[in-house]
Amino acid sequence: MKTGDAGFITTTMDKAMEWSRSNSIWPLTFGLACCAIEMMATQASRLDISRFGSEVFRNSPRQSDLMIVSGTVTKKMAPRLRRLYDEMPYPKYVIAMGVCVIQGGPYNQGYSVVMGVDRVVPVDVYVPGCPPTPEALTNGIILLQKKIRGEEDR
Amino acid sequence: MVYEVKEEQSKDGRKVMRIDREHLLDLVKDLKADGYDSLSLISCVDFRDRIEVVYHLFNSKNEDILVVKTETRDSKVPSLTSLYESANWDEREQYDMMGVEFTGHPNLKRILLPEGWVGYPLRKDYDLSKTQYVNMDDEGEDRVSFDPGDGW
Repeated sequence: MKTGDAGFITTTMDKAMEWSRSNSIWPLTFGLACCAIEMMATQASRLDISRFGSEVFRNSPRQSDLMIVSGTVTKKMAPRLRRLYDEMPYPKYVIAMGVCVIQGGPYNQGYSVVMGVDRVVPVDVYVPGCPPTPEALTNGIILLQKKIRGEEDR
Repeated sequence: MVYEVKEEQSKDGRKVMRIDREHLLDLVKDLKADGYDSLSLISCVDFRDRIEVVYHLFNSKNEDILVVKTETRDSKVPSLTSLYESANWDEREQYDMMGVEFTGHPNLKRILLPEGWVGYPLRKDYDLSKTQYVNMDDEGEDRVSFDPGDGW
């Protein structure tokens, strides 16, 4: 250690950190609309995302790593969403679930809906669908894990 | 009270009563005495030169539904809050979305959109090209502006 050449050890530490971090992404209990029903199904026993380390939905943003924005984000909700995101500790990740969250969806050009949550918070993984199936959301979480580990997506 | 009612049949077979807005309160008062004890909903139709306000009254004894329609050209209609308590929020919603002013309403302010929103979004002449943004101040109150601000 003292003689230098710490590069090898540092990278493995990073790898170990990334590995442990990617296998314990705890989402925030945060549902906005119908996509939240699919998010609940993803968490329930049939398609249990705790198999992939997303063990429990935390009720406090202080304890969670991942925000699954599931459902239409209205302009009134956007500042509240931003505050919840700001209260989460680093490192934090955001999954945009459903087409409303990605670009407004059926409410595109509406007066009250945010045209994509990436105008409010940075998004890591987009899961399209209306609503996405629980399998699609599970795939999105696996994709996020690969992204944290720095692996190729495909 | 003497007033003139135009009765007609809607496409789905419901009885529709048309009344001018000066006699709306008298008609609904009589209908309430007649047994229409519940105001199911209030909705509005924008015809650009006038706004039609539609009331659905419900009789819980014989389960009869009656539609009362009235028209306004200056967006003013008498409030039904003195007869039906449920008219309070229904009229606030119509004020919020269509800009109909219900005269005599005890608390006529926006119910869904934040205070300070410009325009009435369900009207035909609402300008969709100008986006409005909502920000939250320190007290947690909504602030509407055309400028995105910090949070956006």
